[in-house]
Amino acid sequence: MAVQEIAGVTAPPGRGLSIGQRRALTHAAIFISLIGLWEAASRLGWLDPLFYPRPSDILVSFWLIYVQNGNVGWNLYVTLGLVLAGWVAGSVLGVGLGALVGFNPLVRRFLKPYVIVLEATPRIAVAPLLIAALGFGAPSKIAIIMLVCFFAPFINTLSGVVNVDPGRMELFRSLRASKLQVMRKLVLPDAVPVIMAGERLALTAALSGALVAEFIQRDQGIGSMILIYTRNLNMASAFACIFTLTIVGFLMFKGMELVDQRVAYWKNEAGLKRVSDRRRARAQAEGVI
Amino acid sequence: MATQTALHSPSTDTGGRSVVIRGQDVGKTFGGGAVVALEGASFEIPKGAFVSLVGPSGCGKSTLLRLISGLIDRTSGELTVHGKPVSGPHTDVGMMFQRATLLDWRTSLENVLLPSEITRTPTRADKDRAAELLRLVGLKDFLFAFPSQLSGGMQQRVALARLLQTGADILLLDEPFGALDEFTRERLNIELMRIVAEVGATTLFVTHNIAEAIFLADQVFVMTPRPGRIVEIVDVPFERPRPLSIQTSPEFNALVARVRDLFGGVH
Amino acid sequence: MTTRALPFPVGLLRLLPHLALFLALMVLWELAVRWGFITSIIIPRPSAIVGAIGKLYVTEGTIYRHFVITLTAAVGGFLIGAGIAVTLAVWSSLSEPFKRYVSPYAIVLNVTPGIALTPIIIAWFGYGIGSKIALAAVICFFPIFVNTLTGLTERDEDREELFRSVGASPRQVFVKLRVPAALPLMFAGLKIGLTTALIGAVVAEFAQATAGVGVLMGRFSFALDMASSLATLLSMTLIGLILFYAMEFLDDRIVFWRREARMSAVSQARARAWKSGNGE
Repeated sequence: MAVQEIAGVTAPPGRGLSIGQRRALTHAAIFISLIGLWEAASRLGWLDPLFYPRPSDILVSFWLIYVQNGNVGWNLYVTLGLVLAGWVAGSVLGVGLGALVGFNPLVRRFLKPYVIVLEATPRIAVAPLLIAALGFGAPSKIAIIMLVCFFAPFINTLSGVVNVDPGRMELFRSLRASKLQVMRKLVLPDAVPVIMAGERLALTAALSGALVAEFIQRDQGIGSMILIYTRNLNMASAFACIFTLTIVGFLMFKGMELVDQRVAYWKNEAGLKRVSDRRRARAQAEGVI
Repeated sequence: MATQTALHSPSTDTGGRSVVIRGQDVGKTFGGGAVVALEGASFEIPKGAFVSLVGPSGCGKSTLLRLISGLIDRTSGELTVHGKPVSGPHTDVGMMFQRATLLDWRTSLENVLLPSEITRTPTRADKDRAAELLRLVGLKDFLFAFPSQLSGGMQQRVALARLLQTGADILLLDEPFGALDEFTRERLNIELMRIVAEVGATTLFVTHNIAEAIFLADQVFVMTPRPGRIVEIVDVPFERPRPLSIQTSPEFNALVARVRDLFGGVH
Repeated sequence: MTTRALPFPVGLLRLLPHLALFLALMVLWELAVRWGFITSIIIPRPSAIVGAIGKLYVTEGTIYRHFVITLTAAVGGFLIGAGIAVTLAVWSSLSEPFKRYVSPYAIVLNVTPGIALTPIIIAWFGYGIGSKIALAAVICFFPIFVNTLTGLTERDEDREELFRSVGASPRQVFVKLRVPAALPLMFAGLKIGLTTALIGAVVAEFAQATAGVGVLMGRFSFALDMASSLATLLSMTLIGLILFYAMEFLDDRIVFWRREARMSAVSQARARAWKSGNGE
């Protein structure tokens, strides 16, 4: 930060552009030259366009898959539907089991070796097994996604529930709070930020899980599209699909950030102010102050 | 026979006030007797008294506080609060710790309301009282602030209001302002004296600062470590309210010197 | 970890309830399948799984070649991915402009599911070990990069000031302060990265390959040989455990000051070295 401020002070005045504008220009310049270099390398024959598609070709493919063929819409819809279903199911299972195990020291002790084993297993590896057991189609895909994204919410809920501040625990004991009250008023709210962090990881894992399931089943969804385009050496369209996933991933990331900020409101400045104002208004309406 | 006498024994007359906490040879060991945290503590605390517990780390002052609160069980001796033997946490006492232990997701007002929520659904009267207590501790403009928006001193003020909200008439304070800077601590000490006098509570205050212990208290329990024990109970004669300036008086300094000698004697 | 230091009988005693529970579960499972509560086609008997393990590891010994190939691919990809990630993180921490103009690309890489590149990487690198290494390297890059960079850029102002007050050069500040301070976070990233690298290797094998545990897994699953599939899955767990504990070992050695037991061991070793150095 300090470096940026010094740069601001010593910047030659009167160039007519703010620091922000100049940085944006530099970003754009770097991006355009990279793309230009890529395009040129391909046109000059340094990169085989069959395997390494030109940026211009990818742009054309975007138009093809979004407008002319329009096949990306349906496939994206299918994939995202699976992601949502698997993620919700995996989250419910993960948070529920995590809380159950967290509150029960005996279960925790006996479950620990299995958790270590589960943690070390590349969980996506069960994909072929689940497909063999449940057959092709949506159920096996959802089961795969569920299994892949179950772990992060589970382990985060568990650690959130277990790592309760001893000072606060003592306070609740001195107030003679019941187990249920400790859980509802202390442990669960305290674990919310950690659980949310687990949910973010789970959503990312869910998208990856969906793609692997589609790579194996090759029927529909954006994963199948990527696979089939690549098989047909239509690399430009495959890349257009991948950049679509970049946008999807970015939107998911931002969406989760937004939800996180609202749910764990006490972890950010804006949330504190918003909730504080709302509670003051409510108390005023009740006439407490 | 023994229990009968204990039940019917008249409260020892301490300046015309009844005894609320009585300890007879109270002891606490940890690890099956391996560590003696407290040994042979005998004392009587009259209603409305302000008692300081002073001594170095490991002298058992926090242990004694937790025994009285019922958070831990004694291993020997008799300990009664309001004439009843202590077993498990009870509502006659309220505790406050060095860390404010506020809940980050609750406003000051909601944090103060917590003790009421634990016992029942908070009524309008509870809410009014919580707001009133926050005014009493000087936070009337911060009813809807969250802990992370408050300074360390303000957080302890909220914790004090929460303690008072319990309605307990015995306040157990374990180095409540120990993590704060000297200026803040001094100001809060004076306010604490004013507030406990106002609500008429019996107060036990743990500290390792001799001058602070004397300045606040009617009685100072001087405690030494290995094993933790009360070596002497010193009466503090100064009138209330006490101005800060008494700390420079010769009588005050003589008392400080006397307590310090008690520690020097055992080292 | 603590059981290692305990005398044998105590360790065994602690293990007994776990073993008992495990055996009880296995027996229950075995009986459930034998009595037809569970279809053996979907969930095989534990005894069948043990049999499959015996076949893979002892009588036929087919697993070893695949095991080594997958392990090599995961470790190879991890080393490449980690090497690039740490280099870029160090560079970013040293140069503000570099960090500013590289970070958007790192973010793009983070939000894109790396797994999506699987078919393309296979097209580029072929059906051999190359594509597995490449996919492992791509998907393990980000956690290592972001953790190392965070560790290196979280500045402890008091310590930095102390270093400046004794006239330390920027190089000395970097080597003696920032790098050691960043190590715990960096290792956390490396551990995640290693697990991720294994996932990359296995997924590449699913998509298209001729050898590796992922290939074996796919083959058994599609032949509906569930016992062998599960035995192969356990092999993947084994690879995961080997990788995890190898990293844990390094972490333990290098970031010794975060662990009580290691700290006292290092402290004693240094005391001995000091004494012998002073000719005592």
